[in-house]
Amino acid sequence: MSLIIDVQHVTKNYGDKIALSNVEFSLEKGAPVALVGPNGAGKTTLFSLLCGYMQPSSGCISVLGHAPGNSALFGRLSALPQDAQLDPRFSIATQLNFYARLQGMSNKLAKKDTARVLDMVGLIDAANSQPSELSHGMRKRATIAQALLGSPEIVMLDEATAGLDPANAKEIRAIVAEQAGNVNFILSSHDLSELERLCDQVLYLENGQLKQHKTLNIEGDSRFITLRMKQDFPQIIPAILQLQGVSHVNMTQDREYLLTITNDQGSANIEMELLLLLQKNNWSYAQLINGKTLENQLF
Amino acid sequence: MNINLSRLSNIITFEIVRLFKTKRGLLALLAFATIWFIILYYFISTAADIVSSRSFERMAYDLFGALGLSALLDWPVSEYAIYWLVAVYFFPIFALSVCSDQICSDKQRGTLRFITLRSTRAELILGRYLGQLLIVTILILMTSIATAVLASIRDLALLPASLQIGAKLCFELFIVVMPFIALMSLLNTLVNSARLAIVAAMLFFGLGPLIIAVIKHQFGQEFYLNLLFPGGQISSILSQNSVVVSHYALPVIQAVVLLVASNLIMKRASI
Repeated sequence: MSLIIDVQHVTKNYGDKIALSNVEFSLEKGAPVALVGPNGAGKTTLFSLLCGYMQPSSGCISVLGHAPGNSALFGRLSALPQDAQLDPRFSIATQLNFYARLQGMSNKLAKKDTARVLDMVGLIDAANSQPSELSHGMRKRATIAQALLGSPEIVMLDEATAGLDPANAKEIRAIVAEQAGNVNFILSSHDLSELERLCDQVLYLENGQLKQHKTLNIEGDSRFITLRMKQDFPQIIPAILQLQGVSHVNMTQDREYLLTITNDQGSANIEMELLLLLQKNNWSYAQLINGKTLENQLF
Repeated sequence: MNINLSRLSNIITFEIVRLFKTKRGLLALLAFATIWFIILYYFISTAADIVSSRSFERMAYDLFGALGLSALLDWPVSEYAIYWLVAVYFFPIFALSVCSDQICSDKQRGTLRFITLRSTRAELILGRYLGQLLIVTILILMTSIATAVLASIRDLALLPASLQIGAKLCFELFIVVMPFIALMSLLNTLVNSARLAIVAAMLFFGLGPLIIAVIKHQFGQEFYLNLLFPGGQISSILSQNSVVVSHYALPVIQAVVLLVASNLIMKRASI
């Protein structure tokens, strides 16, 4: 596995305020990585540092073996920065064509690639529209399209699906899932279920510090099942605890239970037994998840 | 400084597209054409009649001579004498205004973040500067050609002389506007809107000499800080009766210094 991003002891201060404090991690080529954290945790600052939009106060960053902003990364690293907008005076095709030309494509190839990425995000019919003529969601998709121009090795999407309707958000997730084999995505989002679906690694930032860097659903000796019920059933916890192999049941939130399963032989058919128990008591469930939800893993 | 010529030419070309293919650019062109139509029609086209009239001749010699401009009255194409006097002051002011948004709005909007993933900041600064310089040069050429046409309508025999003087004045104006556009490049790296850049330029030219005078008074010594101000050579080149290397070297050096400063600021700036 090759290292794509290496962040060493990075600190970023805005005056007296510490945005990132001694952040250290490295990422290898592979499935999408989620960047998670509350508002003001430093996610956008970290994105900006990785893209070379700003310099760290101290520490060292290497992206594909180069310092961020280095011309060797042009066309290899692309991003959707949060709140960045296209120029309202030009059509989206004109601007994407310009970006493709800057990436070294010929005029013909740039036009072809612009059409390709606009088609991917469902905006081919709006290619000649100016950003001001498009809805917020369409503008967002146009900026996602610019991140897909050429063949980038790393694509960073900061809140890519924020503000999109469910259908368009699903489209964007499908694009990420489809491209994930060729492109290393780094995604930030407040939608944990979205990240859970797409990513297998999580960087969790809080107050400018990297609190966790983990691979999802690798939990050691025990395994977990998350059960979401349609209604609240007071007797459910004692009943589940009667099942062989269930060592703990925690109510993680309203009508959601986290079952800790011991990895012994008796727990092999635990899902079947659990479903039979629910059927026998006429307890209707909403969702059965193999493992912890990302929310339960992080918080 | 990392400069790739292909990316640089793409940035320059896009600036030209910005002027000729956007509504705002075309409106600016229309405003420019209107102003110059008035200048050409009411001042320059009547220049020959005024300058050659006997009653005016004495007064003009007295006035222009007092200003050190009597050499202009000896030009074979009198239209260009008036053109030069208007253009040498008009184009620097026009350049400050038309080149006031080189990167400001892109920085404010975040568009710069898309561009800097594909081009170095030095390419962006230089590309935008050269793009604006090219636009102003095209406009200078257009006004000069219009003046030549006016002179030729009066007397077709003046065409060769018009083209010769016109080309020389275009070159002079090109050199004059260089540091003014570079000053706006520098101000664009410091402020976040075109309006603020224009205000900053006004303050620079308005308060700058005052500050220099205070520094000179305080230290009792000449620091040659006035060399920092674009256009310092304009009063010397106005009469066009001598060619001195410093008249060209000063604006070129000013432009280079301002662009290097813009690049240094931009290199460290957070966008």
